Amino acid sequence: MPHHEFESSKVIPERKQHVVIKGKGETIADALPQGYLNTIPGSISERGCAYCGAKHVIGSPMKDVIHISHGPVGCTYDTWQTKRYISDNDNFQLKYTYATDVKEKHIVFGAEKLLKQNIIEAFKAFPQIKRMSIYQTCATALIGDDINAIAEEVMEEMPEVDIFVCNSPGFAGPSQSGGHHKINIAWINQKVGNLEPEITSDYVINYVGEYNIQGDQEVMVDYFKRMGIQVLSTFTGNGSYDGLRAMHRAHLNVLECARSAEYICNELRVRYGIPRLDIDGFGFEPLADSLRKIGMFFGIEERAKAIIDVEVARWKPELDWYKERLMGKKVCLWPGGSKLWHWAHVIEQEMGLKVVSVYTKFGHQGDMEKGIARCGEGTLAIDDPNELEGLEALEMLKPDIILTGKRPGEVAKKVRVPYLNAHAYHNGPYKGFEGWVRFARDIYNAIYSPIHQLSGIDISKDEVPTDSGFLTRQMLSDGNLSEEVRNSETLRQYTGNYDSVSHLREKEYPTFEPKAAAGA
Amino acid sequence: MSCEIKEKDRVGTVNPIFTCQPAGAQFVSIGIKDCIGIVHGGQGCVMFVRLIFSQHFKESFELASSSLHEDGAVFGACGRVEEAVDVLLSRYPDVKVVPIITTCSTEIIGDDVDGVIKKLNEGLLKEKFADREVHLIAMHTPSFVGSMISGYDVAVRDVVRHFAKRENPNDKINLLTGWVNPGDVKELKHLLAEMDIEANVLFEIESFDSPVLPDGSAVSHGNTTIEDLVDTGNALATFALNRYEGNKAAEFLQKKFEIPAVVGPTPIGIRNTDSFLQNLRKVTGKPIPQSLVRERGVALDALADLTHMFLAEKRVAIYGAPDLVIGLAEFCLDLEMKPVLLLLGDDNSKYPNDPRVVALKENVDYDMEIVMNADFWELENRIKNEGLELDLILGHSKGRFISIDYNIPMLRVGFPTYDRAGLYRYPTVGYGGAIWLAEQMANTLFADMEHKKNKEWLLNVW
Repeated sequence: MPHHEFESSKVIPERKQHVVIKGKGETIADALPQGYLNTIPGSISERGCAYCGAKHVIGSPMKDVIHISHGPVGCTYDTWQTKRYISDNDNFQLKYTYATDVKEKHIVFGAEKLLKQNIIEAFKAFPQIKRMSIYQTCATALIGDDINAIAEEVMEEMPEVDIFVCNSPGFAGPSQSGGHHKINIAWINQKVGNLEPEITSDYVINYVGEYNIQGDQEVMVDYFKRMGIQVLSTFTGNGSYDGLRAMHRAHLNVLECARSAEYICNELRVRYGIPRLDIDGFGFEPLADSLRKIGMFFGIEERAKAIIDVEVARWKPELDWYKERLMGKKVCLWPGGSKLWHWAHVIEQEMGLKVVSVYTKFGHQGDMEKGIARCGEGTLAIDDPNELEGLEALEMLKPDIILTGKRPGEVAKKVRVPYLNAHAYHNGPYKGFEGWVRFARDIYNAIYSPIHQLSGIDISKDEVPTDSGFLTRQMLSDGNLSEEVRNSETLRQYTGNYDSVSHLREKEYPTFEPKAAAGA
Repeated sequence: MSCEIKEKDRVGTVNPIFTCQPAGAQFVSIGIKDCIGIVHGGQGCVMFVRLIFSQHFKESFELASSSLHEDGAVFGACGRVEEAVDVLLSRYPDVKVVPIITTCSTEIIGDDVDGVIKKLNEGLLKEKFADREVHLIAMHTPSFVGSMISGYDVAVRDVVRHFAKRENPNDKINLLTGWVNPGDVKELKHLLAEMDIEANVLFEIESFDSPVLPDGSAVSHGNTTIEDLVDTGNALATFALNRYEGNKAAEFLQKKFEIPAVVGPTPIGIRNTDSFLQNLRKVTGKPIPQSLVRERGVALDALADLTHMFLAEKRVAIYGAPDLVIGLAEFCLDLEMKPVLLLLGDDNSKYPNDPRVVALKENVDYDMEIVMNADFWELENRIKNEGLELDLILGHSKGRFISIDYNIPMLRVGFPTYDRAGLYRYPTVGYGGAIWLAEQMANTLFADMEHKKNKEWLLNVW
């Protein structure tokens, strides 16, 4: 087994089982680290908790809901305004968060009465909102408050409101992943099937495991609408509560992030017979394949093809401009969960990058299987990395860029590796054809930043050129390019707008003749 | 015409102004050299606090978790602390100080952290780390008591209580800055240097603003040493600049070693900085030098350009840490502004009797409200539904959407200020802070005048 032992982790030998370097000719049968096990205390892991996995990752992107955490204020405050899941209703879910504000007396005497008061207060303060999600926290799980009973009681007294309860305290599992599972199951158990939607198309899907980071969902839904597909619900980015109650009426579940949301797809298949189709909105080929697969499922492949043709013609020359300049640049692909396999092969194929390492904070072995299968030889794969291992890996691999979270990005900055935010993105969205170009543009801008280039110079020792007042990115990136590429008339840099999403909200879509009418 | 102090009359919180106690203890932990705190609770209690520190400072700080999982929540998780201490010390050979910071979960399940520390001191530390100086310090910071402010207060006391020794009394003072920014510490140290006073600074966090170096060696960390902390017991006096962020430690030193405590005033604005310097002079006998007379004059010169022309009558809402809010309100009054709403984000019962609050109640000649246990809805609801008119908001970034949605200019001040670049680098205290605050308030108003085309031509000839 090609396990790798970090110097910094020699004293915790079990860590060796969590790190592999994929060797020559090796497959996942040889090179698969352990995953999703309990965290080693004191190791300075990057993992979060099951509460944030449920509330922050999956619950909160739901846009027309009062999201209330039953506990002390900290859980609410800490998870508020730390992500970029926008919505088309003026970002209500980003702006407002609610805590029941449990204090010591409630710990002693119970906080159910407090919860009920809170629910009533919140609906009163926001009379236009009739839907609520309540999230349990460590404190209220341990004192044993019966949140479900309170929610039932309020729904009886206020028939116009509907309340969802998610019991996923912070300690429920090794990482945020435990919370993903819990909220998936809670939603299908409590809410799916209790509202009937209006069906307006012959082709009806749920878009699942998509959180509308910087507008990803809106970009993808634009394609679906152009194909004449009705998106009944999105689980959960830019999704509406009532839309998600009607998930049982879809013909197909189109699943994006399988790590966080495959559970509900699997349950929808078992309970309602709705098939699951895993898709990928990142990268030209995977996205084109995904649209084609959806088209094939419904027998409208030509609609998918029409979109792909238009989009590829529009954006491919821009992607390729960056690909020429990113060829061979080394990447540490260090996201949270599923992006390690969503991105691994496609940034190599379509941007020319070389993935030298993948890691996952909360992924399971299945994620590593997919990720490592898509990586080349010599790739370092780390499960649940910790601070020292991350630094050691950067020292060993000397990547040109790291794709990771905000805080680990600050660590990378100190060792002079530029970072892009893999969770919230820099200037996204990154899904869609245009989005993928934006991603390539952001990577290019990071790697060829003239400021980054300056950080390697030691003015006390190095000979510093005194004849240049500036450098441009292209002065740095184009030196080794062939004349042909450099002067290409077809390749060009990104030409889209700073905001590539808002205009979609005003867009009108073609109407397609219904199947029955067409057949008649 | 009156100033009224009251509690928010709702029980719940819509958009909290503060986070909970463990965050305060973690802020203390990163201020100490060779120190990594272990937060005993769920992993989110650390991950998100590290995230918000990194959002505010654009730097990463090291803090560990005991990673409480389900089994620990059911059967007790003291073993997780033991393992965490062992793992942390084994992998970080320079670490000498390890605060064990409790959370709501581990306080509710009743883990005996003090007992664990005793056990580790007698066992693991003697057996495995015998040749190392290691200090394990229990910090009880249940999230359902107080707020990040009291968590900070408790943690400073716990650190001082652990280390302070009276061995060789000296002429130094203890300077407890409260929860401030690197820019504040720099300004405070500058004032002390001008006065020729030596201090144990709790905490030396100027180094939070760390560089990118060619060899990649820089790390962001506080620089208050064990020696500084031990030396707090030898000091001539303790200056706790913030009443709610350091007072407990000052009281401890007074009781235990009879070191006089000077609590407050938070040196925001000219008048409070004057008081701070006067107090320093009285305690140390050192004169206030001409250099500071001049600096004060430069500040007054700058303020005179702004007050009655631009700032007078401006209606301000202020929220955040209590000492900051009160200090800013006092300074605004000196600048002829009208702080009309002060929001204090927790339920500390001492606020109504705070002499500064009492003075506001007695002297404010227009309607001012001070709301305790406040959330952001106390501000937004007044604007949206009750006709509150404001010219300016002073507070941290979590309130940004109120400014954006209601078109009210806002100066970011306090913690966290992640939606503006580099603010941690500038002081709000001292004469330098007075200049920065007044000029930033003015510039914020100017930009708003231009943005709204509201007498934007006024600045043609200023």
